[in-house]
Order: sequence, then structure tokens, then C-alpha cells
Amino acid sequence: MTNLVALNSQTHRVLRIAAARAVLGHGSVNIVSVIPREFPRLLAHYPIFFSKSSDSGQFEPAALMGFQRGENLFIRDDAWDAAYIPLQIQRQPFALIPRGGDAGADPQATLDLAVDLESPHIQAQDGERLFQDDGRPSPYLQNLSSMMSALVSGSREAYAFTGKLAELNLIEPVQIDIELINRSETKLQGLYWIAAATLKALPAAQLAELRDLQYLEWMYFQMASIAHVSGLVARKNKRLAGATPAPGAWTGNAIPG
Amino acid sequence: MPFPGESRPVRRILIVGGGSAGWITAGVLAARFPDRGEQGLSITLVESRGLPPIGVGEGTWPTMRATLQTIGVSETDFLRECDASFKQGTQFAGWVDGSDKDIYYHPFTLPEGYEERDLAPYWLEGAREASFAASLCYQTLLCDNARAPKLITTPEFAGLANYAYHLDAGKFAPFLQKHCTEKLGVSHVYDEIVQVRSDESGEISHLTMKSGDELSADLYIDCSGFSALLIGKHFGVPFVAKRDCLFIDRAWAVQVPYASEAVPIPSVTKSTALTSGWLWDIGLSSRRGVGYVFSSDHVSDDAALEELQRHLAAAGDLSPALSYRKININSGYRQEYWRRNCVAVGLSAGFLEPLEASAIVMIELSAKAIANLLPGCRDGMPRAAQLFNETFRYRWERIVDFLKLHYVLTRRTDSKFWIDNKRPESIPESLREGLGYWQHHCPWHEDFVHREEVFSAASYQYVLYGMGFETAISGALLNDADRARALEKMHESARRGRELSASLPGNRELLSKVRRYGLQKI
Repeated sequence: MTNLVALNSQTHRVLRIAAARAVLGHGSVNIVSVIPREFPRLLAHYPIFFSKSSDSGQFEPAALMGFQRGENLFIRDDAWDAAYIPLQIQRQPFALIPRGGDAGADPQATLDLAVDLESPHIQAQDGERLFQDDGRPSPYLQNLSSMMSALVSGSREAYAFTGKLAELNLIEPVQIDIELINRSETKLQGLYWIAAATLKALPAAQLAELRDLQYLEWMYFQMASIAHVSGLVARKNKRLAGATPAPGAWTGNAIPG
Repeated sequence: MPFPGESRPVRRILIVGGGSAGWITAGVLAARFPDRGEQGLSITLVESRGLPPIGVGEGTWPTMRATLQTIGVSETDFLRECDASFKQGTQFAGWVDGSDKDIYYHPFTLPEGYEERDLAPYWLEGAREASFAASLCYQTLLCDNARAPKLITTPEFAGLANYAYHLDAGKFAPFLQKHCTEKLGVSHVYDEIVQVRSDESGEISHLTMKSGDELSADLYIDCSGFSALLIGKHFGVPFVAKRDCLFIDRAWAVQVPYASEAVPIPSVTKSTALTSGWLWDIGLSSRRGVGYVFSSDHVSDDAALEELQRHLAAAGDLSPALSYRKININSGYRQEYWRRNCVAVGLSAGFLEPLEASAIVMIELSAKAIANLLPGCRDGMPRAAQLFNETFRYRWERIVDFLKLHYVLTRRTDSKFWIDNKRPESIPESLREGLGYWQHHCPWHEDFVHREEVFSAASYQYVLYGMGFETAISGALLNDADRARALEKMHESARRGRELSASLPGNRELLSKVRRYGLQKI
């Protein structure tokens, strides 16, 4: 259960968040949606695919962190084993809610920063304070607040980006087949990537359009990031074997339309 | 010796009439033969301005998904612009005995095991805790709960259950017109036929138009609706009336608004038996289309309208703002559909009461058959015509059989309409033979001889067993392995129904999302 309540410097003056624990606590996912502005930093660790939003069916860029539901191979020994954590996880347990609590679909509604009061990471002692004694937001909260606005504008950018790619048939479904050291095989479905063959044959005018929209750079980041799937397989094998095996074997095949 | 076709190649196609029939045919042909210009086929559609479409036929079959995909339109655009909704089958209420519990489904998803082994006998010999459709088709539960057949993440034209559409016929033709003229290179002319001219062999040589123009083609496709300008008026091909078998000849149609945006949109066509006919109820995304089709021999127009209004009032839908439209239905079809260099598609070829939404699917089948049979030269046309005529005569006859099936299985005796419908002389011989056979054998693939049957054995099973028909099962023809398989399939079907019913969005909910976000192509 979640209970999102808009933050208020009076009511929530003394609340504290166990920030690091909250991030780990919310990290038990194998895929998380990301925004293009994160790509340069994500590129160091994670393969970035596209997946469909279950709410709208629209494509969104998403970082892959494991092969099964709830499996995050970047969390190891109670620590996040990568220098960068996707914003969508860093922001926990905060969210934005429409002012007045109306959950309607008005995209212009003013959004308030809210905290999940049911979160086990809220506490009265230790951890990051939300407000200072005089009621001003703490540096932690200020940082979170800017993170949330980055996510809002970033998700708008992401949907414009994927919408254009889908329009140009530049997104295709891919099936990732993984063979692990214990001989078990895993197939990953529901993932999409850039259709490299279509991109290669793209007419110059459309290519120029992608360049002018600054999308080409994001596309190349995304294509390069796919190499991290072998790193992910290696993490999984390591977990299975308790040792340090060589990079894992995997194949990705575009699913014929 | 010159190749015989060189002298008279088939290059120019002229479609007369711009309703659903004209534009579906134009779209299917233009998509199949994409090269226009010097080397390719030329396809022209001529229609007169301001002719209102008949606007019946708001229900399609699942074939429409493939047709739209072939024509190359996006499902998102289609759903948005034609106010379309998802249809998963038909619900029949009151057809057996008229009681409150008298409801059965003819869903689009095939019964379990249909591709391998007939499981109907094992349902028949079993405890029958649930109806035939509910036992062997998970889609029944989705229909009960007004679920959509897919998720917002499911690509265009794909589904988690088989589905078709309800659509606004008045918006469908303009939607296809736009696509055909802008994307597929179909020429579009507004004009009116003044005279049809023949050459000495009896083929149509050209049409003289009101504008003074002359239009000529190698093949003329008559999509002029009930007026049947070419196949009827010009060629005088006789009409085979089916009134002695299918009594329906009138309809009162009315458009009913939704009370609010929260009212669920059913994902079935609801067909409710009344005293002298039946009532259709189709939920589009924008409004409902409701109508009472009846037999004028059994009820007067006024009494029928009153009965329709009583029905609307009982559901709280009656309002003074509603306007009713009377439609005459002449059930039957032409003796021939393709004569000389002219082929009829749509209402000009025939029309039967809309009980199983056969109007639009017959257009799709005709367009596809024309595309497949089209000879390279005029010399091949007589054989194409012969094949087309044989196939479609068979199809119209089978539709008559299947429609009549719904009436002969009734146990209603509360009005003359239902009693008369069981009179043996009103039942086609072929249907009587089928019913005799099915007393000791469940309908199965081999019972029907054509490669592409309009109504398959699955449809017969759904209606026969939905209406309580009894097939006496011989134990000598059953075995334990299939019996176990049938039980397993029934459990699996029930589980799948529950799972999908819980995970699929409501029909209205998904339609709103499609309006807002669209469906992805992949």
C-alpha cells in the first residue's frame, strides 16, 4: 500500500528519510524507465532498451538490471554496485501528485511533491531531514525536488523521442536469449531496440530531422549500451557460481514483424 | 500466334458507388495491385453526390482486421475516426424460451481443441455444469464482463482473444475514401450515370454520365446499393427472394446516447428476441445503435415501434429526443453476381437480415475473390465469372441456412412469428439435412465442403448447443484419452478466462486510452 501525501513544512517538519535504504528497498526491479538526459551516465553500466508503458502503451527508454521480475543484479551485499543509480529509483519514496488530489488526466495540473507515508524508510531519528528547523527545505529535499522536475520534463522528452522513432519505424522488438553457466536458458520478452537496418537505410531528410532534434546522439548511446547485456549475464553467472566467470553468452535477435 | 490477351488486357476497373462496398473493394484491389499509371491497373470510383448511405451493417467479423491491414490503414486511426469499438461475438437473449435466464453466446474465439479433435461430444455427455460456450471458450467470460480483447500494450490488429469491430458505417466510407485516394492512387469522380451502353457482344462498353463524360472500363464493379444500377437495372439479373424462409423485412433503427462516460461499452452485439423479430444493440465508442428488425406479416409498423420503445423504456433509455428511422429489408440475393464484364458487390448483390453481421464480411470476401480471380485479359472473364458465381451462390445459401438455424431451434410459442418460423416448408432442404445428421453427430470440419466457409462448424456448434440442441452421442465413437483431454482443456479454458478477465481493461477504458495514446504498430 502507498499513501502519497503532499509535503508540508509544518506537518512534516521533523520527518527523516533513511535515504540509502529507501533506494535499495525500491531497487528490487529488473527494469526501470529512464530519461534520455541520463543516457550518458547510464551508458557506463546499464543496457538501455525500450519497453512499453503498461499505462499508455507508449515506448519508454528503460534500463535493464536483471532477467527475472524483481531481480536487480546491481544490488549486491546490500549495496548498489554501480556509480550511477537511475533517477526513477533515486527519487524514492517521493512522487509528484496533482494538486487537490484530483487524479484526473489533466496534464496541465499543478504538481505537488509528495511522500509515501506508508514507506518503511520514514523515521523520526537518523537519516536525511526534509526540512530545516526554520521550515526551509533541506539540501536533500532541494535535490529531490530538482530530480523530480528533471523526471517530469525528461519523461516528456522521452515520449517525444520514442514517438518520433516509432513513427519512422526505428523501433523493433527484440528477443534476448541467454544461456547461463548452469545451462538454464532465459528468454527476455517485451523489449525493443533501435532497428539498425532501418536506420542504415533511412532517407537523408529523415536522418537530418533526427539530427536536428538531437535524437541521433541518444540513439547511438542506446545502441552502444546494449553491449552491457554481457556484463549483466556475467553478474548473474557470478551470483550462480559465487566466482568470477568470463562475460556471459547471449544473443539478441530482432523479432521479424 | 499472338498471346490472346494482348488484344484485350484487363487494365481499367470502374467501381460504381461509394458506400462501404465501393471503398472496401477499391481499397482491397488497389492494395493488391499497387502499381498505377502506364503499366498498372487503373482503379476509378464514381459516385453521385449527396446520396445518403444506408448505414446498416455496423458490425464486422474478425476478417476486418486482416482487410484493414491489407489496405494499409492504422488501427488507431480507424478506431478513432469511425467511432469503432471492439466486438468479441454476439450475445443472444430470449431466443430459446424468452425467459430471463435465456442467454447464450456466439464468440469469435474457436472452441478449445478445434484444430485437433472435436471436444463437443465430451461436453454433451458430461455434467454440463456450464454452458457449451462457457465450458470450451474462455472468451465467454470476457464478453460477460465487457472486457476489451487486448491491452494498450498489444500491437495494432493483434489480440489476446479473437475480435472484430462495431463501427459507424457513415464514417467508415469517408475514412476509407481518404486513404484510397490519398495513399493508394484510386481516382475518385463525382458524377451520375445517365445511360449504360453495351457493345454488340452484350458487354458494357461505357457509361454516359450526367456531366457529359463517358466512362469506360474493362471491369465494372456494381456497388450501387439496393438500386443495383448495373447488375439489376441494366442486365436485369433476377433477384432470388428469401422471404419465405427469413421473414424479417423491416427495421426501426435509432441512435441512443450513453447516459454518461462511465457506462460500460459491451464487447458483443446484443441480439434480443422480441415478439415478431429481434432487437440489435451495438455499442460504438460514441453512442449505441439500436434497432428492431421485424416481419411486417406478423406485426404492424406502429406496433413494432411501440414494442421497441417499451424495450428502451424498460432499460431507462427512452427519451423524446430519439429519432427513429424505418428501413425496408428485402432478404435475398441475385441469381448471378458476375455477368459479362460486371460484378456486383454489397447490397446490389444481396442482403440478408443483419443477425450475424454478414453484410460487410460478404463485401470483404467478394473484393478478395475479385482480386484473386481477376484475369489478365478479357478472354478469361467468363470463367472468372462462373467461378465467382458458383462460390458466392454457395455462400449466400449457407448464410441463409445459418440464419434460419437460429429460428428453427427456438422453443418459443408465444407469438405467430416464432411458431411460423418452425414450419417445415420454411426450412431449406440443406439445413434440414444438416439438422438430421447432427442428431447423431456434432458439426465438424468435414460437414462443410468449401475451403473457405462463411460459417464454420464452430459457429454451428455455438448456436446448436447454445440453444439446447441435443446430439445423441454414441459411446462407440468416444475414448478415454480424448475424454481426459476435454476435461483438461475445459479447466485450462476456465483458468485462462479468469486470468484474462482480471488483467484485461474494460472495453470503454481501452477505447479511451486508444483515443488518448494510440496503439503501437509493433
